[in-house]
Amino acid sequence: MLKTADQIPVTQTAVIKEIIDSPLKLNLMELGFLPGKQITLKFSAPLGGPMAFKLDETILALRKNEASLIEVQLL
Amino acid sequence: MTVPTMSSVTKTPKVAIIGNPNVGKSTIFNQLTGLNQKIGNYPGVTVDKKTGTMNYHGSSYEIIDLPGTYSLYPNSEDEVIAHRVLNQLSESEKPEFVLMVIDSSQLSRGLFLATQLIDLGLSLAIVLNMADLATKRNIGIKTFEIFKALGVPILSTDARGEKGLDQIRDLIHNRNFSKKGSFLAIEEVVPIGLLEEVMAKFGMTNTYQAYQMLRFGRVDKIIAQEDRDWIKDKLEGLNFDLEAAQLEETKIRYRKITTIVEHAVLKEVSTIKEKSGLDSLFLHPIWGYVIFTAILLIIFQAIFAWASVPMDLIDGFFAEMSGKVSDLLPDGPFSSLIAEGIIPGIGGVVIFIPQIALLFGFLAILEDTGYMSRVVFLMDRWMRPFGLHGKSVVPLVSGVACAIPGIMAARNIGNWKEKIITIMVTPLMSCSARLPVYVILIGLVVPDRSFGFVNLQALTLLGLYILGIVGVLGTAFLLKIILKTTEKSYLMVELPSYRAPRWWDVVLTMYNKSKTFVLEAGKVILAISVILWVLASYGPPAKMDEVRAAGEAKLALAATPEAEEQIVSETSSQLLENSFVGIMGRAIEPVIRPLGYDWKIGIALIASFAAREVFVSTIATIYSIGGDPDNDLTIREKLNQQIRPDGDKVYNTATAFSLMIFYAFAMQCMSTLAVVYRETKGWKWPLIQTVYMTALAYLSALLVYQVLS
Repeated sequence: MLKTADQIPVTQTAVIKEIIDSPLKLNLMELGFLPGKQITLKFSAPLGGPMAFKLDETILALRKNEASLIEVQLL
Repeated sequence: MTVPTMSSVTKTPKVAIIGNPNVGKSTIFNQLTGLNQKIGNYPGVTVDKKTGTMNYHGSSYEIIDLPGTYSLYPNSEDEVIAHRVLNQLSESEKPEFVLMVIDSSQLSRGLFLATQLIDLGLSLAIVLNMADLATKRNIGIKTFEIFKALGVPILSTDARGEKGLDQIRDLIHNRNFSKKGSFLAIEEVVPIGLLEEVMAKFGMTNTYQAYQMLRFGRVDKIIAQEDRDWIKDKLEGLNFDLEAAQLEETKIRYRKITTIVEHAVLKEVSTIKEKSGLDSLFLHPIWGYVIFTAILLIIFQAIFAWASVPMDLIDGFFAEMSGKVSDLLPDGPFSSLIAEGIIPGIGGVVIFIPQIALLFGFLAILEDTGYMSRVVFLMDRWMRPFGLHGKSVVPLVSGVACAIPGIMAARNIGNWKEKIITIMVTPLMSCSARLPVYVILIGLVVPDRSFGFVNLQALTLLGLYILGIVGVLGTAFLLKIILKTTEKSYLMVELPSYRAPRWWDVVLTMYNKSKTFVLEAGKVILAISVILWVLASYGPPAKMDEVRAAGEAKLALAATPEAEEQIVSETSSQLLENSFVGIMGRAIEPVIRPLGYDWKIGIALIASFAAREVFVSTIATIYSIGGDPDNDLTIREKLNQQIRPDGDKVYNTATAFSLMIFYAFAMQCMSTLAVVYRETKGWKWPLIQTVYMTALAYLSALLVYQVLS
């Protein structure tokens, strides 16, 4: 089932399918959010605050808006 | 293998260090250059230019520490600088060699930038840093595989443990850098004809550089307008989608890098579960905030307790200097200028150093341990509705001690609008210089009574602090609506692994921040304090001489030392009344009358533009309060005795509260002004800030006085 990364439940892992077109697409890609990569949601700040994803060996925090630009498939 | 490029033998070779954020780039820079560092400015931007000299085996090298970036695409001001310098567009900095630092456990992200540098045709060497962490994570890297694929020299180091630093020094000394030419042929995504035209126009020899010019030249102000128009015309004529090309480039580049990384990295599947223990506490929805608050409290406690000792020493030292100078030099305007204008002016700059150094010391520790990005993570949600960023928390919180280091800390905010809003509202936080003013006035009009646990005076003080915060959020919200920007606000921040702070880096940060403040803002502060001194000590000569003569005549008749002292302080009070500041105070009286102030308070308002706490010493002079002007009780008694012509007290409740509100909001601090000038590179924002804060202060004080009286 295709979702966007802001809908991943905490501790769940998903595979990136596509980065949705937007001015931030390149920023996400240069950070390493690329189709085929696995991301795990580690933490989520309260009341819809930023989300911290594990990507390879690092943890990267994104706002919900930015996470919603990443199309993923839950594992 | 690699041919050392011996381009400039006589000139000091320039080496630029570049890398992603958090890869230990600055540690390598600090280790190579030590105290031989210089902080300057790049033209037109607020980014600090960090350069240093490395001396090794009798040769010296100029090292440039470029801001961390993930790619050559300029998204923020920091990255614009990296982009310009590496594209050789910056007039002042054209490095001969580039040292690219990569985090060993973040190989593909680092190689993304590294391969762009190769494509630019730069003389490059790669340092694989933090080898220790990679080993801990069971990542093995076959550096030879990377070398085979890229063809540039590679070193493996651990700069925190100082391992491999001599290797880096040797590498630079032997000029073991190499120009590889090309990793990705940009002709694959951009028509070669177009690239050749750009190369011919700008005299370039490299297609990737031409592509960068084509892609970003239109918006880079460093490029001549005529050239920008030329690029724009070219692109419009061709109807070619450069952004699509850039995306394509990114994809191809990452695909090629993934192949290299697959060959070069051995990763044992670790059976140990990833430890995120500290984060489950520090990022906890409740405990995370509790811990953050506790850390803030500890920092403030430390700043207040530790900074006050050196600040008192500095204060005492400069007071003594003034005394000595006026004793040594013959009486006259020159002695007075030095003793009462310049020395206190310098003292007024130096006095801020303990607070700046301590605050930046703590910030460096929080940054270095990796905690700071957790703060951004926790606070972003609460700051955003007000047009602020998670990173605005640090400047605002620092503002409780002093707005100056706070505004200096706003530099880390990448988004222009969020940075400006943060700078504009930080001085509204109740800084420590407001405290003496509040204490005197509260003591004057608020009874020292308690209801249960709640002391009325303490409650009033708390109310003033809360008022500051309300002012910050309200103003930020208004600015959010007023200011327009096309720049999109975003938060993409790495939460690095927790590590012990590198104390040497902490010390260097404290030193460099203090130095920058003294050299840059200090000039303005000194200039304004000399001007204020002139205004306060000179007036129309005839009147001033008359007052002086009358004072001396009385002094000759004085019988006791007490009477002499009384006459001296009355004379200086009269001199102040007749000085230019006194005249200005009288001139503004009609304007400040509705706030409940007379012209004497007007004088104090003008004089305390130097710094808020000057209010206290100025009213001490105006009301000729002899003895120890630091003694609150004598000032308070004296103020209580001031009667208006109509018989009411000058400092009644309405006036005192009106004054407190005025000081809560007014921009009564030239040092803040100087720092905003430095951080925004111009007088526009400091002027807007002064105007809006004064207006806010005036209207609020007016409201308070009219309601209370």
